Amino acid sequence: MEYDLPSDFDIIVVGTGMVESIVSAAASRIGKRVLHIDSNSYYGGLWASFNLDSISKIPEGNRSQPVVENKENEIVYPVGNDVFDLRIHSQKWHIPESNPEKDVDESDSAVAQEEHEWTQEKLLKISRKFNIDLAPKLHFAKGDFVELLISSNIARYSEFRSVSRILTWLNGSLEIVPCSRSDVFSSNRVSVIEKRMLMKLLTSCVDGDENEFKGYEGKTFQSYLKDRKLTENLIHYVLYAIAMCTDDTLCLEGVEKTKRFLGSLGRFGKTPFLYSMYGSGEITQAFCRLSAVFGGIYALNQSLNGFIYDNDNTFKGIICGKQRINATHLVMSLEKLPKEIVDFSTTEYISRAIFITDKSILEDEREHLTLLLFPPVDRKAACVVLELGSLTGTCPKGLHIVHVFTKQTVNPEDDLKHCVEKLFCKREGESNSSPSILWSFYFSAPNTFSQKLECEKLLNTYVCPGPDLDLDYDPAIERAKEIFERIYSNAEFLPRAPDPEEIIIEGEDNNNIINETEERAEVPADQGDVSSELAHEDDT
Amino acid sequence: MATRKKVLLKVIILGDSGVGKTSLMNQYVNKKFSNQYKATIGADFLTKEVIVDDRIVTLQIWDTAGQERFQSLGVAFYRGADCCVLVFDVTAPNTFKSLDSWRDEFLIQASPREPADFPFVLLGNKVDLEPRAISTKRAQQWCQSKNNIPYFETSAKEALNVEQAFQSIARNALTQQSQSVDLYNEFPDQIKLTNTTNRNSNGDSCAC
Repeated sequence: MEYDLPSDFDIIVVGTGMVESIVSAAASRIGKRVLHIDSNSYYGGLWASFNLDSISKIPEGNRSQPVVENKENEIVYPVGNDVFDLRIHSQKWHIPESNPEKDVDESDSAVAQEEHEWTQEKLLKISRKFNIDLAPKLHFAKGDFVELLISSNIARYSEFRSVSRILTWLNGSLEIVPCSRSDVFSSNRVSVIEKRMLMKLLTSCVDGDENEFKGYEGKTFQSYLKDRKLTENLIHYVLYAIAMCTDDTLCLEGVEKTKRFLGSLGRFGKTPFLYSMYGSGEITQAFCRLSAVFGGIYALNQSLNGFIYDNDNTFKGIICGKQRINATHLVMSLEKLPKEIVDFSTTEYISRAIFITDKSILEDEREHLTLLLFPPVDRKAACVVLELGSLTGTCPKGLHIVHVFTKQTVNPEDDLKHCVEKLFCKREGESNSSPSILWSFYFSAPNTFSQKLECEKLLNTYVCPGPDLDLDYDPAIERAKEIFERIYSNAEFLPRAPDPEEIIIEGEDNNNIINETEERAEVPADQGDVSSELAHEDDT
Repeated sequence: MATRKKVLLKVIILGDSGVGKTSLMNQYVNKKFSNQYKATIGADFLTKEVIVDDRIVTLQIWDTAGQERFQSLGVAFYRGADCCVLVFDVTAPNTFKSLDSWRDEFLIQASPREPADFPFVLLGNKVDLEPRAISTKRAQQWCQSKNNIPYFETSAKEALNVEQAFQSIARNALTQQSQSVDLYNEFPDQIKLTNTTNRNSNGDSCAC
């Protein structure tokens, strides 16, 4: 199956990260001819999910690149830079490679006993049961992302699970954060008086008029909570868990964040959050699928050999393998930006750790999908901890994947150490009630969200940022929309895609996408209705 | 005991570009055929309710959306398939040669619980065209070597054998699903986002 790619497009999108994929879908959706390519053999770039085997082979950065070529009337820039890449600090196993006694004794009881003795060999054998996110995300049930998925009809490509509990670290132990009305009332950690105070506060945060926060413009959210005479425990729940703030967060920002949380309660499940089944990496593929359905051409694993510009620095095309492909616009992920053009310096990084563990950080009768908001302590920034069980389709039964991340100040190990030490067994082999870490992966990635990425040197060229620290995809959607509107200023951004059935029905008139030239007779009259009635009977 | 729940079966169609995947799906569901070749645009998935052994099941048939053209189908496409339909063009030998790699790709990406028992169905399409390059016998031999995959020779254009093929696909998918999902129920309580305010049963009302 060796084909050449078509050689002329309206827009070429390089990289299949979140922002690129949204732009690609939006452009295809309005009928633009889109080529979407990636030099990786997988979707998602820095937003991808990997199985256990492939994450150990993850490329750290771009290899050495050829230099700029000046041809007659044209300049060819090499692809990629080494500024915006993952920096792997360590990837380690904390269990033996294999269990030598295994082959000797294969009796049933030995197997049963062995269940809990994980080895590298065992885990790698079921490597594909793991879907390990580089950039795990949660979705506010009424947030921009969920609303976009629904309004664009991309929701049909994905499935979710709701986060089943939110934890915080309070007075030296893990506590469940009461976030819904019933949680508040059933919690035995919160006194009756506190319950009333909490409900009153949350109500005034959501419904409060301007007077409520008058005088707090320059003050912190914490000071507002203190003035409302909340107890220490309640302040902790609201400030660190519900609003996800620090001690320095300003009052109005804290109120906004509280609203974001409360506004998404009660739609799905017990908490405001959803998580994508099989990992966050599925989401970029959902947008790519929509792009493909609307004619976008997809080619992974391509060797990108250059971006072509004319002497006025206007984008002309790319060199893919040996083929030249022309287009009017170029959208690319940050890590593909030519080295010569990179004039953004990265100042912010995200410290990330991923663990495979043998049990939950807070065991319960049933499996949970847990979000732990680890509060800031001793000048260490707050950490987000996301614990995924097998029901998310990201790890095998009996194990958990734990993501821990925070804004980088030193390096991933040091930034997360205080949190990791409290949650997991300190030494290998030590047995207490805390989960053991079977495998660990520490890395950092640039946080490019707050950076201006306008590429003034190159015309018709748009640069997409990498993953950010937001829990959800809100900043990514905002950026994608911005880029889309700069390219196609009058077009609608991801209008609802028709259902497949609707496309066919429209086709019976005249503007058919599939372009019927020959119609067969015997279109079954109302067959669908009859069957659905039958199905209904069957239900009862 | 047969479950009386509504059954949704996900079927994916694989094969080289141009073998007629979209046409087969469109002929089966919409009783239509387009002679004009166009790399799959607008084709996403189609659904059809069928009766299999007195049970009503909804077949959801997923097209590749053209992402197979440059070997760029992502793993998300393969999730949760209950049956995989492999298609080749009986007049194009290369499309027959690719079958092994499509089957392997499916087994790797979808990683079904019991790879040896996972239901595939093979369709040799375009039997209305001449000259024939792959004989029935050769296709059947391939099927036998793969644990007896059912084989149908079809013409999406002439609507030949399409109905029968998909009936078999539905039956195989149903067997697969009742063996695996119903027994193990691997991922209960998944949430599908829909426009209707889909309130989860254990959902709480807003705290405010």
